[in-house]
Amino acid sequence: MTTLLEEQVQAKVDLPLLQNIHKAVALDEYYVMGHRTCAGCGPALSYRLACKAAGKNSIFLGPTGCMYVANTSYLCVPWAVPWMHTQITDGGAVASGISAAYEARIRKGKYKGTFPNIYVFAGDGGSSDIGLQAASAMMYRDHDAIFVCYDNECYSNTGIQTSAQTPYGAWTTFTPPGPKIPEAKKLWPKDFARGMIALHPGMQYTAAASISYPVDYMNKIRKAANVHGAALVHVHAICPKGWGLRANQVLLCGKLAVECGTFHLFEYENGEYTYQYQPKAFKPVTEYLKIQDRFAHLKPEHHQKIQEFINQGLKRCGIKIPVEAV
Amino acid sequence: MKERYKKYTIEIPEEMSIPFAGIVESPKPNGEQPLMLTGGWRIYRPVVDSEKCVMCKSCVLACPDATVLLVDGGNKIGFNLDYCKGCGLCTWACPVNAIDRVPELDFEDGVPFQDALFLLPHVEALYADD
Amino acid sequence: MANAPEDVKLKRQAEEDAGALADSRTGTTKFLTGLGAAAHALKMADIDVASSYPIRPYTGLMMMLSMMAARGELDLEFVHGEGEHAQLGIAHGASSAGARALTGSSGVGVMYAMEVYSPISGGRCPLQMVIADRTLDPPGDFGSEHTDALSTRDQGWLLGWAHTPQEVFDNTLMFYRIGEDPRVYLPQMNCQDGYFLSHIPMKVVVPTQEEVDAFLPPLQFPDALDPENPLGHGPQLFPGQGHILEASRVNAMMGAFPVIDEVVNDFNSRFGTSYDPFVEQYKCADAEYVLFISGGHAYTAKFAVDHMREKGMKIGLVRTRWVRPWPTDYLADILTKFKAVGVVETNNSFGAARQCGILTLEVATTLYQAPKKPVLTAFMAGLGGEVIRLDEFYYMGDVLKDAAAKGSTERTAYWIGFHNV
Repeated sequence: MTTLLEEQVQAKVDLPLLQNIHKAVALDEYYVMGHRTCAGCGPALSYRLACKAAGKNSIFLGPTGCMYVANTSYLCVPWAVPWMHTQITDGGAVASGISAAYEARIRKGKYKGTFPNIYVFAGDGGSSDIGLQAASAMMYRDHDAIFVCYDNECYSNTGIQTSAQTPYGAWTTFTPPGPKIPEAKKLWPKDFARGMIALHPGMQYTAAASISYPVDYMNKIRKAANVHGAALVHVHAICPKGWGLRANQVLLCGKLAVECGTFHLFEYENGEYTYQYQPKAFKPVTEYLKIQDRFAHLKPEHHQKIQEFINQGLKRCGIKIPVEAV
Repeated sequence: MKERYKKYTIEIPEEMSIPFAGIVESPKPNGEQPLMLTGGWRIYRPVVDSEKCVMCKSCVLACPDATVLLVDGGNKIGFNLDYCKGCGLCTWACPVNAIDRVPELDFEDGVPFQDALFLLPHVEALYADD
Repeated sequence: MANAPEDVKLKRQAEEDAGALADSRTGTTKFLTGLGAAAHALKMADIDVASSYPIRPYTGLMMMLSMMAARGELDLEFVHGEGEHAQLGIAHGASSAGARALTGSSGVGVMYAMEVYSPISGGRCPLQMVIADRTLDPPGDFGSEHTDALSTRDQGWLLGWAHTPQEVFDNTLMFYRIGEDPRVYLPQMNCQDGYFLSHIPMKVVVPTQEEVDAFLPPLQFPDALDPENPLGHGPQLFPGQGHILEASRVNAMMGAFPVIDEVVNDFNSRFGTSYDPFVEQYKCADAEYVLFISGGHAYTAKFAVDHMREKGMKIGLVRTRWVRPWPTDYLADILTKFKAVGVVETNNSFGAARQCGILTLEVATTLYQAPKKPVLTAFMAGLGGEVIRLDEFYYMGDVLKDAAAKGSTERTAYWIGFHNV
């Protein structure tokens, strides 16, 4: 909830939803060309689309990660909106402070403008691992701010190490495969978005999106901003370097993740889930795994385990869509 | 008091100074960040066939660097070659295969033939007298 | 007072000793603990955002602020931080967005937030942290040692100690004014001994809101995060610019000296106080040896000094109000007048040079280039948060008297509890 007086609440203008790609393309760019992210960087695309959707009345926060380091080399930034670096540990905390500052200053007449939309743009590490505490607290306190997790399923910036959202079986520099550990990574990843939903029943809006479905993602950013309170957007942001793909396959990879049912596109509001991708059947996960070098060492028994985990996930989430046989 | 402790301060010459608290200016919307020119990374250049193109604009939303542009009054697709990294996402995103990935070596002004472009200004300054 | 001629200073000293200046303040007299004094001052400073987290003994400050907010006495965004690290993060965000921000902690809580201190001071965010000192774990003792706040002394914050609740009240206002000055823009740690100051009430004279408003204007932070004026806070630097950024932070800290002087003198003239901006000298005019101290135990020490002087000992007390910036040259002028200096240390640094406490290291460096140096020793006292008793101060006085006569001491550090028994 927000403590702003009613008329000040009304003053925060809702961002209209985008009917089609042409409306989306017509929006101004607030994450401009000129940053040192890898060619084909999924997180960079997710940042660009988010800033484009967010518009002028925004403040973006960058916990340490690729979307800090690769974007601010050197002594320059690509954001045409106010932006601030935070520690990887405290994106949620800094957003809370900025939100509280605007609440106080508007209410006390020290700031005459409109309440801004405040976005944390944190990687999966800065969201579900080292940043989990601050993310959760921001949502629990229901500050009027949006927590965006750009999920490239590893700590990319430091050279591809495992995070709590790295999938089972994935190579990283902390989970190399070898005779002792043929599957490379033995641990199953956290379900960050659903975990946050369960932990914060008061949170008004949570969405999962993908860069491969850009207009859907941009609308989710806008809906999250329109909420007067905390909101979460979890965006799948493929990392060509970390996952072992050629740059031009990044969007294909994101599409396959959704088509195989390993990344679900959804919105959660008013106690209900709605799913934006509902095929007749999901593709077998091997379609997704085979284009990524980080899974190249896996054997059929590992593929099977991964498929079972996905099937269980669909069941757990009440998604009654079958998976095609291999 | 000021004078007594001045001896512990450091004279920072004007040309070395950095902004207060490291706070920098933001670029303009729809603009660019010229301190990080990235066009020099390219191995392949995207080239659009305007005959095939149906202006669906999927390519525009596929570019992490916002270098796929609407040109010619919004009727054609163009590319900002100062920044395009040649990643090929726009090429993949096109549903009608209207974009080709052409090796930079095939162009007279291809990246490997450039002398001193795409350098950060302060690096360029280092080579100014060569 | 620092730059006043010698005879004026001596006259002032005599007046102080006679208690003649004690009641030259006007205002409402309240009976407040150190935390209560801070809370009152913060209310009058119209802080915008406070981030809380409970830890003994500073928690009472946040309890009082939340009550003031709930009763409508203070328009405050009271944010329940999820930990001390978060408290600092929240305050960092609030300050970067142009709000007057406040946080606080004690003991290990101060340590938990360690990561964020340098980003905040490097980001030049003028927020304030009220610290009620507490011994670090182990063993989880609640009493006061200064090691918690002192451990942050390298992180670029202004860092100072009060020795009475009245001084806590006054420092709270002065620190905001100094830190928010455009020539400074640095965060401040406003320290008071846990329990001894934080929980024991004493007389505090509170000025009117008009007087406070005239002394402390609203915060101006032109580069605040604001969509009307987009800026990028905290990008990477070019390799080769690190030393430039650090030099600018040194310059900010050194630039605080004239501002501290100006602000404290302004405070004195408005409120009828007589603070030396940097260092209090108590009965030093004819002293041959002095106790050097910071913080609440100075209050007890003054009584001990009085009693020792009655017995004919030529002892005085030098109390530094600031640890950062350390008033090097000013202190060197003062301390070189004496034959012996004993630093009362309620802190520790295991393995430090000469195995003294932290302040002794600073004092030794202060005296390093003096042509005539006093004998220097340390008194490790009040450790574990214990009271420093009058008889323990008398012991210190005896050691110093001996040192002044002999020109040396046996030990680099005398431990109360071991060497005085």
